[in-house]
Amino acid sequence: MSALLSMQAVRGGYGDADILQGVSITVAPREIVVIVGPNGAGKSTAMKAVFGLLHVRGGQILFDGDDITGWAPNRIVKRGVCYVPQVDNVFREMTVHENFEMGAFLRKGDLDAAYDRVYGLFPDLRAKRKALAGDLSGGQRQMVAMGRALMLDPKLLLLDEPTAGLSPKYMEQIFTITRDVRDSGVSIMLVEQHAKQALAFCDRGYVLATGANRHEGTGAALLADREVAQMFLGG
Amino acid sequence: MTFIDFINFHIVPGVVLGSIYAVGAIGITMVFGILRFAHLAHGDLATMGAFIALSTMGLFGASPWVGLPVAMIFAAAIAVGIDKTFYDYLRDRPKILTVMASLGVALMLRSVVQVVWGVDSTTYQRGIVRPDEYFGILLRDRELYTLLAVATIVIGLEAFLRKSKWGKAMRAMSDNPDLARLSGVDNRHVTMLTWAIVGALCAAAGFLLGLNNELNSMMGWHLLLPMFAAAILGGVGRVEGALLGGLIVGIAEELSVLILPGQYKAATAFVILLLILLVRPRGLLNGKVL
Ligand SMILES: Nc1ncnc2c1ncn2[C@@H]1O[C@H](COP(=O)(O)OP(=O)(O)O)[C@@H](O)[C@H]1O
Ligand SMILES: [Mg+2]
Repeated sequence: MSALLSMQAVRGGYGDADILQGVSITVAPREIVVIVGPNGAGKSTAMKAVFGLLHVRGGQILFDGDDITGWAPNRIVKRGVCYVPQVDNVFREMTVHENFEMGAFLRKGDLDAAYDRVYGLFPDLRAKRKALAGDLSGGQRQMVAMGRALMLDPKLLLLDEPTAGLSPKYMEQIFTITRDVRDSGVSIMLVEQHAKQALAFCDRGYVLATGANRHEGTGAALLADREVAQMFLGG
Repeated sequence: MTFIDFINFHIVPGVVLGSIYAVGAIGITMVFGILRFAHLAHGDLATMGAFIALSTMGLFGASPWVGLPVAMIFAAAIAVGIDKTFYDYLRDRPKILTVMASLGVALMLRSVVQVVWGVDSTTYQRGIVRPDEYFGILLRDRELYTLLAVATIVIGLEAFLRKSKWGKAMRAMSDNPDLARLSGVDNRHVTMLTWAIVGALCAAAGFLLGLNNELNSMMGWHLLLPMFAAAILGGVGRVEGALLGGLIVGIAEELSVLILPGQYKAATAFVILLLILLVRPRGLLNGKVL
C-alpha cells in the first residue's frame, strides 16, 4: 500500500516538552482515518504536526512522495493539505461566500468549479451565502469551515473534531458529507470525540493515549476490541 | 437661538470636525484590528502629512488641494518605512513594546516637523471666507469639500475592503489571524498594505484639519485623544464604527460649549472615552475586546 500521508515515530511539542512521544499514522488515498483517545492525548497536536504547526524533534512526516517534516504551513497548503482547526475555524465577520473566497486565496484562475463543488456538498449554504459566518448555527459554521478548506482542492483534509458540540442530526450530516468528500477523491484524517460513531463510519482508526499510539486497526476491529471498548467507549 | 442657528453654529462645525476625526480614527481602528496595538504616532504622522501638503502647495503655487494626494502618498511611504525600521523588529514581542516605540516615533516625527517647518502656526490660505447658504445651512467651500473628500475616502476604502482580494485579506487578518495564515495569506504583505493605507489616511486627516483650522507642530498630538475616543466608541476594528464615532465625538465637542466653558472642549473626548470604556467597552458596533 502506498500511503498518501505517513507519520513515522513523530516526536515533538509546542515548547521544550515532547507532547508527541512517537506517533505513527498513515493515511492511504481515498481513506477516512479517525483518531480517537482521551482528552489531552495529543490528537490535535498530532494533526498540527502534519500541518507544520509544531516543533517536530524526531521522526518523519512524508506526504505524497515528499518529506514535509519542518515545512512551513503555507508551503504545506500549496502542496495539497488543508486543515480545519477545532475552534475558531471560520472568519466570523465575513460572509459564507467570502469565507470560501479566503479558502481559495492561493488559487489562481477560474473558481466557478470550486464554488459549485462546495455549494454542491453543502446545499444549505447556498441560500446563506451572504450571511455572516458568525451568525450561523454551529453545524452550519462547521460546514463553512470545511468548505473553506476544500476550496483549495486538497489531496488531504485534516478535520479536528468537526462534530464537537453538534446535535446528533448535524453529526450524521457532517459524517455523510465527509464521506461524500472522500468519494470525490480526498483523503481524510479526522479527530473525533464521538468515538463509537466515528469508528463505525471510518475506514481505519487509531487510538492515541499520552502522546503515543495505543491501538490501531479497521474501525470494526477497534469497536470489537474489548480493551478499546473499556478504555474509551464507556464499556 | 433658532433651530437653524443651532444647526449652523453647532451641528455643522461638529460634523466637519467629526468627519476629520473619523478619517484619523479609521486608521487607528485598522492598526488596532489588524496589527493589534495602539498607534501613538498617528497624530504626529498627520501633522507631517499636513506640512507636506503645505510645501507641495508652495512648490506649485496652486490650491492646497494639490497637496492632498502628494501628502497621502508621502505619508504612506513614511508609514511603511517606520514599520520596517522600528515596529517590525518588535513583532513577536509583547505589544506594549510596540506601543511605547510608537510614542518614540511620535516624538521623532514631531521634531522633524519642528526642524523643517518651525514651531509657528500657519495656514494654507489667509483671509476670511464667507459661507454660502444651502437651504438655510451655511457652509464654506472648504467645509463642503472636506465633507466630499471624507465621503470619497470612506467609500473608496470600504469598496477596497469589501471587493478586492487584498482588502478581503486585510479583513480576514483582522477577523482571525491564525486562520488567515492557514489560508495562505502572507502577514507581511497585509502589514505593509495596512501601513500604506493608514499613512495616507493620517495625511488626509492632518490636511483637512489644517485646512479648516490652522497648522502647527502640535496639531496632530492634540488630535490623538479624539481619534482614539472615536475609534473605541465605534468599536475597535470597525471602519463604519470609526466613522460613526468620529462624528459623535466631533458633534459632542461642538455641543459641549453650550454647557461648559470653551477651554473644556477638548475634555469632551476624554469623557466619552471613559464612559464608553465603563458602559460598553466593545463600542457601539461591537468591536474587539481591548
Ligand atoms: N498551544 C499549546 N501550547 C502548549 N501546550 C499545548 C498546546 N495545545 C495543547 N497543549 C498540550 O498538549 C497536550 C495534548 O493536547 P491536545 O493535542 O490538544 O489533546 P487532544 O486534542 O487529544 O485533546 C495537552 O497536555 C495540552 O495541554
Ligand atoms: Mg483536541
